[in-house]
Amino acid sequence: MANEDLIIKDKNDDGIDRAGFIKCMAWAGTGILWMMNGGVLKSFGMSQMIDKTTGGLKKGLIIPASDFSFVQISDSHIGFNKPANPDVVGTLQAAVAKINAMPTPPSFMLHTGDLSHLAQADEFDTLDQVLKSAKTEKVFYVPGEHDVLNGDNKQFLARYGKGTKGDGWYSFDSQGVHFIGLVNVVNTAEGGLGVLGNDQLKWLEDDLKGLTSSTPIVVFAHIPLWAIYPQWGWGTRDSEQALSYLKRFGSVTVLNGHIHQTMQKVEGNITFHTATSTAFPQPQPGSAPAPGPMKVPAEKLRGMLGLTGVHYLEHDHTLAITDTPLMESSEKIAQ
Amino acid sequence: MTRKLIVITAFSATVMGAVAAIKPGNPPDTKYKNLKVLPKNITSKKLSEIMVDEFQDDLGVSCNFCHAENKDTHRPDYASDEKPEKQIARAMMRMTIGINKKYFSLRHPMIGDSTLAITCNTCHHGNPHPDVSALQ
Repeated sequence: MANEDLIIKDKNDDGIDRAGFIKCMAWAGTGILWMMNGGVLKSFGMSQMIDKTTGGLKKGLIIPASDFSFVQISDSHIGFNKPANPDVVGTLQAAVAKINAMPTPPSFMLHTGDLSHLAQADEFDTLDQVLKSAKTEKVFYVPGEHDVLNGDNKQFLARYGKGTKGDGWYSFDSQGVHFIGLVNVVNTAEGGLGVLGNDQLKWLEDDLKGLTSSTPIVVFAHIPLWAIYPQWGWGTRDSEQALSYLKRFGSVTVLNGHIHQTMQKVEGNITFHTATSTAFPQPQPGSAPAPGPMKVPAEKLRGMLGLTGVHYLEHDHTLAITDTPLMESSEKIAQ
Repeated sequence: MTRKLIVITAFSATVMGAVAAIKPGNPPDTKYKNLKVLPKNITSKKLSEIMVDEFQDDLGVSCNFCHAENKDTHRPDYASDEKPEKQIARAMMRMTIGINKKYFSLRHPMIGDSTLAITCNTCHHGNPHPDVSALQ
């Protein structure tokens, strides 16, 4: 590994600083396994855990004990058939195979949007068919902008939005964690930025009111709730308002998709994490004229649907971010 | 008289049915308002394909680049002609169709057809505004 790729500035001794995480952010990620243990949420990149040759867990890998776990996948774009990946069904099936290879099945799965490419019934049907084979109890969805193209979110709501509010937002509780699915793709702002809107913000404020500050919160939505690269619409115009309601909570995790690459950031009590796509990579911010499907050599595609991992440790009522020690540090850096 | 009326009604229904059957293109699955270049009977799949492939990917823009926001709902008002970019997009589509027809002898070129010789991407390459520096 070249010296310039090593993390040098690491003031927090956590293996991650801004420059470091940008250098190390992996395209990877057919899925992310999230595990909750005593109120501490940890994430593990599934492509790091699976041995490519055997399809099973890597030798010597020990999955830590947890109260429960869940998986996040994103941006399946079923219906996409361009050179960046002519077999999006195959790569989604590969992601499901990795989920099914987990020693303990995850309690549920979150899909953070862009299930389909053109919001067509047959595309949703195909996705449903593939996800049926996933060994998990339930799948929770939020829409991406491709699922509600041309202002039509009726089909998405009919299929995946039963019992939700407004354009499909909702919350639920699992194992003491409060999960909130937000919709920021129906009203989009200039430049493609996501918008939550006043109705949803009001609902969010009310939804959080009855919770104690020690309740771990997981928020998931399609477009990132932090300004990753607003020039490409990679942010949400009114996310600041939403985040202000979350400030009093000790542990908040925000999971997004949309940008087809792993990025993470910690800001106070809130950890932001974006997942990669199961379909195709997109360029790094500012490295191309515009975002969009990025063609890579065929033999590299699945490797670029790898991933990165993060976990949180709670101590003295604060949260810190560290690398997840799933692999030897030399191997981890080499990722 | 009644029998004559029944025969006329039946004949009219047959003619109307036949006209509907021979109408070119797929029946629209959604009614879109204010389509002036794209076919009025376009399917939702074809329209979505054009918006995603031709505009989002080839120009690197999102809906709001051309479509104005409805002031009440704060959602894109797809039928509105308020933004000049939408008029320019129509002119560009007409130009693209014209070039394919005139210089590449395509008989009925339509935006989004895989047979087009010239597409948005020919000039735009993912940019909202083509790079014309080489021409200056």
